[in-house]
Amino acid sequence: MTKPRCQEALDQLDEYLRQELTPEHMARITDHLEKCRPCFSQAEFQRSYLQMIEKAKGQCCPDSLRRRVLDALRSPQH
Amino acid sequence: MSDDDPRRAAFEADVLPQLDALYRLALRLTTEPSRAEDLVQDTVLKAFRSWERFQPGTNIRSWLFTILRNTFINDYRRRQREPIPMDLESPESGLSLRAASDEDPEGTFFSQIVDEKVLEAIDRLPEEFREVLVLSDIENLSYAEIAAMVKVPVGTVKSRLFRARRQLQSALYDHAVEMGYLKPARARG
Repeated sequence: MTKPRCQEALDQLDEYLRQELTPEHMARITDHLEKCRPCFSQAEFQRSYLQMIEKAKGQCCPDSLRRRVLDALRSPQH
Repeated sequence: MSDDDPRRAAFEADVLPQLDALYRLALRLTTEPSRAEDLVQDTVLKAFRSWERFQPGTNIRSWLFTILRNTFINDYRRRQREPIPMDLESPESGLSLRAASDEDPEGTFFSQIVDEKVLEAIDRLPEEFREVLVLSDIENLSYAEIAAMVKVPVGTVKSRLFRARRQLQSALYDHAVEMGYLKPARARG
């Protein structure tokens, strides 16, 4: 796990999973993950985690609050 | 009030689409719906008063989150004497936590856990961990944006995030075992 390629892949796993790296950089990490089982595992775990937390955003702003905020903004003192 | 105030109209057009994100963050910081609602309203009114200071083209969500967070810290945070009973920055202190990734390397248990449990577990994280995790993993802010908001170096954001995730993942793993969603990978205790 101390190989430079492993280090690079794990350091940039978040950016990789969110596809925020350059195409060349993405390709380099994909290539590494295909060859390195421990890193592949870590990436899969992280992917599952991010998918879960993506769904667990929780509640939207209630309509009553939306109205309250609008009323406050439009009240004469502002 | 039917006056057509162009300043207010512009503000509303930019800020109202962010109300869901503001409410989500407020709820995670305060952990109470009624306080979260007050915090959102205070934040929006403050933002409106300092609207001229927002630089168009920069991330409006970051700007609003910063106002919300500062308002929370100044006016909403409950008085706590020693809020965090653990050493936040030292990397070693996280090692006693079992890594959930060792137990379930593919993270299959995550898909079994209902959203409500995830939020409950997030709310139990120490505040310093919770805010970084929510800003990064739920609201998708970059490390640099979080660092600017929380006023710590990027490296600190990363280490807090790493430890917040481990703590959350470990809590959720324990929950999954408890609920019988999966068998523990090895005998514990």
